[in-house]
Amino acid sequence: MKFEPKLEESILAFLHKTKISRRDFLKGCSFLALSLGLDQVEGIAKVAMAIATKPRPPVIWLELQDCAGCSESLTRSQNPLLSQMVLNTISLDYHETLMAPAGIQAEKSRQDTLREYAGKYILVVEGSPSPKDNGIYCTVGGRSNMAILEEAAAGAAVIVAVGNCASFGGIPGASPAPTGGIGVREALPGKTVINIAGCPPIAEAITNTFAYVLVYDRLPRLDELGRPTFVYANTIHDRCIRRSFYDAGKYAMGFDDVRARDGYCLYMLGCKGPTTYNACPTLRWNGGVSYPIQSGHPCLGCSEPHFWDRGSFYAGQSAPLASPSGTIAAIAAGAGAAVGVGSALLARALSARKEKEEKTDGE
Amino acid sequence: MANELLAFARGPLFYACLTFFLFAMTFRLFRILLMRWQKDRAKPKGSAGWGAVKSFLKAVLIFPFFPGLKGLPQRSTLVYFAGGIFHLSLFLVIFFESAHILVWKELIGLTWDPIPSPIIDGFTAATILALIALAINRMTNPVLRLLSGPASYLNLLFVFIPFTTGFLMVHHLISPYSTVFAVHMLSVDWLLLWIPSSRISHFVFYFFSRAAHGAEYARRHAEP
Repeated sequence: MKFEPKLEESILAFLHKTKISRRDFLKGCSFLALSLGLDQVEGIAKVAMAIATKPRPPVIWLELQDCAGCSESLTRSQNPLLSQMVLNTISLDYHETLMAPAGIQAEKSRQDTLREYAGKYILVVEGSPSPKDNGIYCTVGGRSNMAILEEAAAGAAVIVAVGNCASFGGIPGASPAPTGGIGVREALPGKTVINIAGCPPIAEAITNTFAYVLVYDRLPRLDELGRPTFVYANTIHDRCIRRSFYDAGKYAMGFDDVRARDGYCLYMLGCKGPTTYNACPTLRWNGGVSYPIQSGHPCLGCSEPHFWDRGSFYAGQSAPLASPSGTIAAIAAGAGAAVGVGSALLARALSARKEKEEKTDGE
Repeated sequence: MANELLAFARGPLFYACLTFFLFAMTFRLFRILLMRWQKDRAKPKGSAGWGAVKSFLKAVLIFPFFPGLKGLPQRSTLVYFAGGIFHLSLFLVIFFESAHILVWKELIGLTWDPIPSPIIDGFTAATILALIALAINRMTNPVLRLLSGPASYLNLLFVFIPFTTGFLMVHHLISPYSTVFAVHMLSVDWLLLWIPSSRISHFVFYFFSRAAHGAEYARRHAEP
């Protein structure tokens, strides 16, 4: 059975088909309203009204150089209302990992959506584009990833880059980057792209961005890196559960020491929380259960550009980047010594000669 | 943007500056050590080697901590105390502040326990105040003012900036953190370039000059 998304079909009508209860519907609306920073009464009504009356948006989800981890993250959203809506829209429309069709049928499905909903669909990109060598390192159905991306972007109402790879190039863009992975923004100059950064992003960061567009009919406010500020306004460090230990100067010095078990700050173990903007400490993962630092692992900084190339994950926020070279240091010191000795010997020789000349003149 | 600048300042720029620092400091050291020292043809009255060691120990371990021996506080109370606090906390902050220990760990592979942050904070704040006091003293004291050139004030300024930005950064007093961190690192990078040609280089050369003086005094049987 082929699913035909209709813009005329409201989200509420779709939800009725899924037999969602009124209680679950309002719970989902409350969660969304609070996530978007709306107040409890008017905000919930606003979200509920938007979801009840607006058409279900068609979504095209492209996977370029990715690991499908961002899709995996989305399927674990703690807000079933929106994730179900998004997943059920895209899974039967176009999502390479989740969709039922395969091969020619899948490509036809995408082409149909592009044509039928031109200017109305949401384009989600997971994984980094690879323009290097005419895009030959990532092809789908015999076409280069760049051709597919540009074609889909041309008629998109909104473009969303999900994950660090799509936002900034991520792991395919990390040194030495043999396939030349870049972010979608860079691949589509002139287009407005919402970056939902993270490796992977928190599911609610994805769904709440959809919700924002749905409720307000406009893009959320973005930071200089194109990330929605309602998710990425604060650093991990700002809201960290272990922040009081940092302020008191109490640090775990090893992963297996008693201080780590007692919940001390993980700064000395390489935590990148102070320079990483994300909502992990507030939204948390797996239905709000925990986040990496709470579980005892330092932040890797995965929502920041080039996090893979910013030194070792365990080297520490303040440590110099890249491995220091003892050889270069030794060469520098040796060269300094050699030039110093040479310079001193030359000065001594000149001084001795001058003295000798003065002596000769005196005689 | 701030993160990009920070990555540059704590990455390639830091290593370039550190490499220059090592080159320039060893150059200056050997240039001085191999100077054409004047020969002392008089018969030595004491051991030059022991004199060097004794003078070195006195200057580093005794004089600064037993002020009555040299009457230093009486000569200039402000310089003695402000300078003393400044030097002590500079040592503690560089070697025992948590973030700096991570730098040493990356550079030399060794790590040790940091001094608790509140103590380091106290020293840092005292140092910032000491630097301001020393700068005012230099500007108001007629003799010091006469002896001071632009470099004298710049030395204070170039140490003041990393101290202040480090304090602001650790306590998140100015946002965003990355920007303050980047300024902190840039100021450290600049300091690495500045030190070899400035009087701040005395943190290496002082020990050699003390030893040289000690040896000279011991040969002439004078007490340093």
